[in-house]
Amino acid sequence: MAKPAVILVGADKGGVGKTTVARTLLDYFNAHQTPVRAFDTEHPRGTLKRFHPDITDVVDVTAVPDQMKIFDTLGSAQAKVTVIDVRAGLLSTTLRALTDIGFIDSARKGQITFAVFHILGPSITSLEEIAETAAVIGDANYFLVKNFINNTTFFDWDPDTYNSYFNRIKGAEEIIVPHLSEMACEQVEVASTPFVTFVANKTAAGEAANYSFVLRGYVRHWLGNVWGEYDRVKLIDLVAPKKESAVRQQAAG
Amino acid sequence: MSFRQTVTIITSHRERAGKTLLARLLVDFHQHEDRAVAGFDLDAGERSFARFLPDRVTAAAIDDIQGQMALFDRLVAADDVNKVVDLGHGSFDQFFEVAHRIGFAEEALRRSIAPAVLYVLTPEPAAIGRYRMLRDRFPGLTLTPVHNELFGSLHQRESHPLLQAGTTALRLPVLAPDLRKYVESPPFSFAEANLARATGIPLDAHIGLQNWLRRAYIEFRELDLRVLLADLSSSIRLPS
Repeated sequence: MAKPAVILVGADKGGVGKTTVARTLLDYFNAHQTPVRAFDTEHPRGTLKRFHPDITDVVDVTAVPDQMKIFDTLGSAQAKVTVIDVRAGLLSTTLRALTDIGFIDSARKGQITFAVFHILGPSITSLEEIAETAAVIGDANYFLVKNFINNTTFFDWDPDTYNSYFNRIKGAEEIIVPHLSEMACEQVEVASTPFVTFVANKTAAGEAANYSFVLRGYVRHWLGNVWGEYDRVKLIDLVAPKKESAVRQQAAG
Repeated sequence: MSFRQTVTIITSHRERAGKTLLARLLVDFHQHEDRAVAGFDLDAGERSFARFLPDRVTAAAIDDIQGQMALFDRLVAADDVNKVVDLGHGSFDQFFEVAHRIGFAEEALRRSIAPAVLYVLTPEPAAIGRYRMLRDRFPGLTLTPVHNELFGSLHQRESHPLLQAGTTALRLPVLAPDLRKYVESPPFSFAEANLARATGIPLDAHIGLQNWLRRAYIEFRELDLRVLLADLSSSIRLPS
């Protein structure tokens, strides 16, 4: 039986696309038939929940009862992968709370697979976040996500400075989320569906929709590139190694 | 034909290759065959396709996403209307980049729309490169080279690598110079009703035009068969 996996998606800065990345992850795991659940820490409103209502709960990650709801159920939940979309400004706080409850230790001992998707913004503040986060994540699988979805440029970073931060974290990997046309983004927002559902031209209720073929094409192309990045870093191997190896054995014939 | 409609992109490596004339002919051919047809002028330079057939051709632009939606969403609309696109060389790269990115050919086929490209050959080596790019990158498109006989058989037919390699080309017959003057002032349609109404075309010129049209339409019928053959080939292809 696969051990539970927790993926934290966060940044201390707002507006860098955390929820977008969390949505692509949920779509990715669903496409790989990997059962997944999500927690949306945009308490009490919830943004992720709007797109994936069936598998998302809105929680206050700073409150103990909600921490229990997430972490005490890791072993018993049907979904072995848990994605937590951490609200802006709460990444460091959440990581400290995880340390306090012994979660980071469990991950270090190999009882839980733990990954952090740290979404970077364009400013130097993001680089400082890396150093701060690195200090508390222990042996977690650390992914630095450069999110270009909103045409963010990272040119104001000096590559040497960036690398000096990046190299502080052993085994850190970089993931690029490419740009997606603003209009395509907006239409998916308006549709309030997972990206995959939009591409399939379906409403949230599963009925036939009439979205623009061009916009669906752009979203499909973009999502394919994002998933290509997840494939590159072997995300499925990380969270569901047994299942994947079985698939590979089957494919090998 | 199992396809409900066709989308034909007419393009070339450079201007003055005869693609707009071919596009005009194809629109009129569809009408001649009692098929609904709509044209799209994607040649930002002269817009002659739209000027020749203003009632049936819409000027299009794909510089921004709104323009791309206006064109491509219409091209894949399953509305039983055949579509003809006059794609200027200036928009060639962008058109096929967008088409590739959004999966245009695959979506068209999924909706029982036959996507075809008529590529008017010109002698430049870069023209061959573009043709091969289309062939390699868009296996779902029925790609047909067009030999514009105006360029002369001596000049092109014997020296063009694609024609030498045994590729079957659609021929655009030469319109005799003394007939050209009757059809080169927009707006103008080759449709029978229009030709019958046209004043100032002498009887012998009228007969000459009809003969030329007949030859062109025979080529289009062969194109229909080629599209049908591509459909049959894909439908009987066994899974590997």
